[in-house]
Amino acid sequence: MLTWLDQRTGLVTMTKGFLTEDVPGGASYWYAFGSATVFALMLQIATGIFLCFYYAPSTATAWESTDYLIKHVPAGGLVLSLHYWGASAMIAFMTMHLLQALLWGAYKKPRELQWIVGVILFLLTLVLGLTGYLLPWDLNALLASKVAIQIAGSAPVLGPAILNFLQDGNGIGTLTINRFFGIHVWLVPALLVGLVGLHLVIFRWNGPAGPPIDEAPKLKPGRFWPEQLFMDTVLSFAMFVIVVALAVFAPAPFDAKADPNNTTFVPYPAWYFLALYALLDVVGKFPSAIVQIATLFATIIMPGVLVLLLILLPFIDRNPSRRPSRRPWILAITALTIVGAIGFSFFGQYNVVEGQVAHGLVGATAGNAATTGGAPQVETGTGNNPNGGGAAGGGPGNATAGQTVFTTNCSGCHGNGSGTEIAPPLAGSEFVTGDKDKLIGIVANGLTTKITVKGKDWTGNMPAWKGTLTNKQIADVITYIRGAWGNKAGPVTEADVAKASK
Amino acid sequence: MAHAEAYKDPGTPQEQTRRVFMANAVVALGGVIGLGLAIPLITSLIPPSDANVSEWSPLTPDEVARLKKATDKPVKVTFQLHETNGYFGASDSEQFVWAVKTDEAKIRAKRPELFGGVEKVPYPVVNLGFAIFSPICPHLGCRYSWNDQLNRFACPCHGSQYTNVGEHVAGPALRGLDPLPLRDFHGKVQLEWIEYKQNTPDHIILKVG
Repeated sequence: MLTWLDQRTGLVTMTKGFLTEDVPGGASYWYAFGSATVFALMLQIATGIFLCFYYAPSTATAWESTDYLIKHVPAGGLVLSLHYWGASAMIAFMTMHLLQALLWGAYKKPRELQWIVGVILFLLTLVLGLTGYLLPWDLNALLASKVAIQIAGSAPVLGPAILNFLQDGNGIGTLTINRFFGIHVWLVPALLVGLVGLHLVIFRWNGPAGPPIDEAPKLKPGRFWPEQLFMDTVLSFAMFVIVVALAVFAPAPFDAKADPNNTTFVPYPAWYFLALYALLDVVGKFPSAIVQIATLFATIIMPGVLVLLLILLPFIDRNPSRRPSRRPWILAITALTIVGAIGFSFFGQYNVVEGQVAHGLVGATAGNAATTGGAPQVETGTGNNPNGGGAAGGGPGNATAGQTVFTTNCSGCHGNGSGTEIAPPLAGSEFVTGDKDKLIGIVANGLTTKITVKGKDWTGNMPAWKGTLTNKQIADVITYIRGAWGNKAGPVTEADVAKASK
Repeated sequence: MAHAEAYKDPGTPQEQTRRVFMANAVVALGGVIGLGLAIPLITSLIPPSDANVSEWSPLTPDEVARLKKATDKPVKVTFQLHETNGYFGASDSEQFVWAVKTDEAKIRAKRPELFGGVEKVPYPVVNLGFAIFSPICPHLGCRYSWNDQLNRFACPCHGSQYTNVGEHVAGPALRGLDPLPLRDFHGKVQLEWIEYKQNTPDHIILKVG
């Protein structure tokens, strides 16, 4: 059958040609990072296509369609988490691949252009990470991307034009989402696939560089197929297992919908931008006389120079030798950069956590806590507020008082949280732990339309409690149910109730 | 360096066995990855459970009054169809059906196929003294209307015609008009919106609610 195909297309002969290649000095797992990166790219494309079947880019639909995907589409959340962790895997393995090529001196003549194409691929992948981050349009997407867009906008000469494009001249809005979507789904993937093709063609022309010794071309060669490809597959398989495990046990974070007026949420960048984020933080604390120029340095000039050095590396480092013992400078600089990047990343992570503690967000889901305005509070695991009585207006509802309200008014229909034939359960209910304004609306104004709670339909006759219960009592009972029976959602305040029950 | 030097020497039997193992392992691991990926991806294409849940749409008192005006001559009854539209959630859109005052004996005489056999519908055709017909022509899906002069339902697209009880009497349709369920639920009159597959003699449900 393969002969039949080959006679008519030559594809089998071509594939055999690609696979029969020498690997100087034998196959090695060190060389497997490149193909693992390509595998990660294919994983992202596959999961990305299926995400495209559900995601709609606009301020009115981006968060909603992502929420729908996670809550209603079978395995939807899993596909999203695979895509989320796959992105991290791709950047991690790509960095390993870059470091391997750098340390092995594989960028030296005749492989200079191979290296440059590779660095461009690296930058394009970072662009993918940046643009993808905004698309879910939750609190973190908006606030973290704002920082990135401001940085892009402060670039010399091109800054204002870039800012105009990214903000459509009007602030970050629906057109921003659309443009990020176009870049993330169409433009960069097309460029990426094309450049990966070029990267492979150039690789094939020059052949693999082999071990970092100058006599590499004279070494006894190993086989690409099956030896090297076997190692590539094992590494890709390991990556796949890790990504699946992460996707299952650490689902992608998804906060409340983006709200530019939110003052309590602390945005966190993707881990691969933590170092830059930390640098920004340090520089922002410089004395006011130099803070502007220092920020420009940290965000544009230094990264810009680093990228330039990286691209031009093969022409800067003229040392013809590939042996590490003859390349002390390049190795020292690389080691320093790695240590600095890792150090700053940890510092950046520390800053993010510190910021969240300061805003009382530790231990609670960021979305629920961030949208309860008023005085910051530290939440315990069950969300019950340890304070005796909530302060009027700004303070959170009192769960203990709320329990009394519940027993008197609600347990007749809702039982002890597990529901009865006439009223849905509250334990584990998405209506109780989800959007607090919606929940306030239901309690205050009643509900007569059909809802689905934990997979079962209820056509309602929920009475309106506004007027019968005070706003404080409604805040107390809602705070109670959001933290009872294993529910872990944040409290609501009397002010929330006053606002949302109109 | 000459091309593919490593392949010139076939290697020791031990090396050959290793290579066969590696080749098989590549295919096996690749297969596991493919399967592991295909399962969640294909699963995500299954329609969410909240799509197409059985949905009875209520008629407002005005609409019920209109329904009661139906005689042998059909009347158009509008109602709000409560639909879920993907991530837009639930929304109401205005829809209409045709209502005819009749009894089961009359319909059974004219359209026995609705009660048994391939064209049977699994619910009572006449409820509360009325038969409700879907406004979707069972030929190719156009909306049709009642023609007083012909005393028939007439579809403008391809000319199918039906009597006041939905019996197919002219044109290319392969079955008569589709009846819809009607009920009195605790004092509220409700009808159920069901869409059937076009251009076939049997009743194959495409969408409910």
